[in-house]
Amino acid sequence: MTRRLLARPYAFALVLGLALLAANVIAEPSFGRPSNWPEELAAMTPFALVALASTPAILSGGGGLDISVGPLMSLANVVLVVWLLPSRLGSAAVAVPLVLLLGAAAGALNGTLATVLRFQPVLATLCMLFVFSGLAEAIGDQPTSAPPNFTTHLAHSLGPVPGALLLLVIPAAVWLGLRRTPFVRTLYLVGGDDIAALTAGVRVHRVRIAAYALGGVFAATAGIALTALVQAASPDVGLRYTLIALAAVSLGGTPLGGGRGGLLGSFLGAASIYLLQTLLGALDVTSTWLQLIYGALLASGAILSAQVGARPRRSRA
Amino acid sequence: MIHAAATPPAHDVTPSPTNAAPLLQVRDVAKAFGATRAVRAATFELLAGEVVALVGENGSGKSTLVKLLGGVHRADAGEIRVDGADLSTRLAPHTTHAAGIAIVYQEVLVVPPRSVLDNVWLGADGLLRERIPTTVKRAEATATLTALLGSPPNLDAPAETLSLSERQACCIARALVRRPRILVLDEATSALDVATRDRLFALLSSAVADGMGVLFISHRMDEVAAIADRVTVLRSGETVASLAREEASTDVLVRHMTGSGHLVERPAAGSGRPAPGRVVLRARSIALRPGCAPFDVDVRAGELLGLAGLEGHGQDDFIKALCGLAPARGAVTVEQDDGGTAGIAGPREAARHGIAYLPRERKTEAIFPTLSVRENFGLPTLGLDGRLGCFRARRTAARLAAFVERLSIRLAGAEAPITSLSGGNQQKVLLARWLATRPRILLLNDPTRGIDLAAKRDLYRVLTELADDGLAVVMLSTEVDELVELMDRVLVFRDGTLGATLAGESLGRQRLVSAYFDGSGS
Repeated sequence: MTRRLLARPYAFALVLGLALLAANVIAEPSFGRPSNWPEELAAMTPFALVALASTPAILSGGGGLDISVGPLMSLANVVLVVWLLPSRLGSAAVAVPLVLLLGAAAGALNGTLATVLRFQPVLATLCMLFVFSGLAEAIGDQPTSAPPNFTTHLAHSLGPVPGALLLLVIPAAVWLGLRRTPFVRTLYLVGGDDIAALTAGVRVHRVRIAAYALGGVFAATAGIALTALVQAASPDVGLRYTLIALAAVSLGGTPLGGGRGGLLGSFLGAASIYLLQTLLGALDVTSTWLQLIYGALLASGAILSAQVGARPRRSRA
Repeated sequence: MIHAAATPPAHDVTPSPTNAAPLLQVRDVAKAFGATRAVRAATFELLAGEVVALVGENGSGKSTLVKLLGGVHRADAGEIRVDGADLSTRLAPHTTHAAGIAIVYQEVLVVPPRSVLDNVWLGADGLLRERIPTTVKRAEATATLTALLGSPPNLDAPAETLSLSERQACCIARALVRRPRILVLDEATSALDVATRDRLFALLSSAVADGMGVLFISHRMDEVAAIADRVTVLRSGETVASLAREEASTDVLVRHMTGSGHLVERPAAGSGRPAPGRVVLRARSIALRPGCAPFDVDVRAGELLGLAGLEGHGQDDFIKALCGLAPARGAVTVEQDDGGTAGIAGPREAARHGIAYLPRERKTEAIFPTLSVRENFGLPTLGLDGRLGCFRARRTAARLAAFVERLSIRLAGAEAPITSLSGGNQQKVLLARWLATRPRILLLNDPTRGIDLAAKRDLYRVLTELADDGLAVVMLSTEVDELVELMDRVLVFRDGTLGATLAGESLGRQRLVSAYFDGSGS
């Protein structure tokens, strides 16, 4: 049982995450108090969701990569705060589907650029990164606080349930739902070898566009989580999230080559990075050194993770 | 619904109205890539219930034609009719199955990290809709793979844990489970071991009896003779002959393929060749796998030594042990010119002591696909082309020119991308790459796999000349004919150890093939 668990690509992130959790509790005993959990979870959720948003495009292979998910999160946040919440469309039942739809459309646009129009995915999504950032800046050019709205609860608790958990349920439910269809399996097959998939009759472009769209939906969910957390328009935070999210994906055992790894790994990778940040904060590491330590740990972590996870199994005929 | 039951569907017993039209009719099909006219005028017919072999040298347009049938490329001109309906402008990879066509490509197209089951049913489902229930998928995959492999497969194992032959069996099963009416096998047998190939042929003959049409492409004349009802010959993208099985002797086919009146010149084996020189490479107490009997092998200068056996019986491990890629238990030593000896424990020592190795997987292990012919040729010997620390591309080109002539490499120019060459010519460039290092021992891992007869003939001639000049040549081969005709001595591997050594009088087809099987099974 344990051995099978350790053979998983996310094994390293799981062990690292648990170790960092323990270290956090030792360094700052209040961290372990259940009453703090909803807030901690809410602070982590936007980042974790951006990490999830980066994953499907990478899984789809062919150099697939979406670096525009961070700014897309900001765009979703700004659209929500500036346009939807103050209007009659501000209820959860209307605003959430609209924002998710925005994410899906933006993701599908990325996917179309990267597949049908054959842009290099890094370049295509780099262009869109600027476009989304620019749109977010334009819409949220005035500091805007959110009016009282449904997301307030999401940063705290809904009864006994931490609110942020509800947002994490969205990607989990979407993913589990898709696993009941051939989509997820096909996504991994396309990521593993697109020529084999194409010649077997898989509509590779469609699968990849759907993967980017799925990432867009997750990024929009991150936008809702961000709104819940800051209750204001923050058009400029997304950019920072993008690259750290890639680190989380890689730490979680999803190689950039595609076809291996998965969402759970990215979540665990994101959780590890978040816990590392809080630990360094709790240990009063000066912010001057924070980035350096952080980078070094990530580099070693990503290397170790690649060694522990995705071990290539060679044929012994 | 593609199909609903695990049992083979009843094939139409009643003659269909379109019975008059051939199952597949290709007429004057043409396809050009830029200035290269890969297919000029291909014409042939395939009837239900027959096997048509498509033969031709590499570069004759066979693979392009297959890609047109698979909808990977679209024909510039001509007709591709299935049951009389012209599909030439409508074929796409996702529509070929609906048209009843299934294709197995020469490249072994599996998705390495995914399960055997997923690989077999790749492409059968829609984006969100599962078209075939999992239980049916498992039953069908098990039945087909058992028939191909001789034993039930582990459907949940990742494809990357399988041998090359088993992976190709997955690709063939992928085509068969879709129950095509037209099955195209593009060199699909070259990656199969002999036993799997024979099981495939048995499977095909029963499917053909049920009305399937098979388009069979192979460079192996024995395979063509074994299963083809008719043979169509392509030369430079044009159909030059369509022959019944009785007319299609190897000599006749070769004449049509090459366009010349000359038959294959069999290289003079053994008899006319000088006796081998002194021992240059010693392998002592080699144990390829735990528990396998250790054995010794000496390789002599000027010798052509063949390595043979069924796929996965140790010959591949042995050649990799000789070049230090996968050291085995035991010792491999090189006799140096000054009389000393040196152990080989890794590829660097092997290279330093004059051992050159040409790997099996040309596409992934040997060529640099983005580089030119010259760059591919010159990489290990760049040091020769420097002057005062500056690299001179012209010198490489000059050195290459000598090999182009000697090996009869056909290429547009030294700066053309390596991928613009046919497989046989790529292989010659790679051979030139290693010959340029002036090796004393040349190791070749199945160098003629998937290359055409003319290129093979060139290769045989060159290898014989090299051996006459004192080079020790060790060549793993899966082709019985070339082992028998070309080699001085053949080592047959069985179950991870040396099973038999054949040379001189004992080196004949029958003896060789029976040596593959002796001791295994019974």
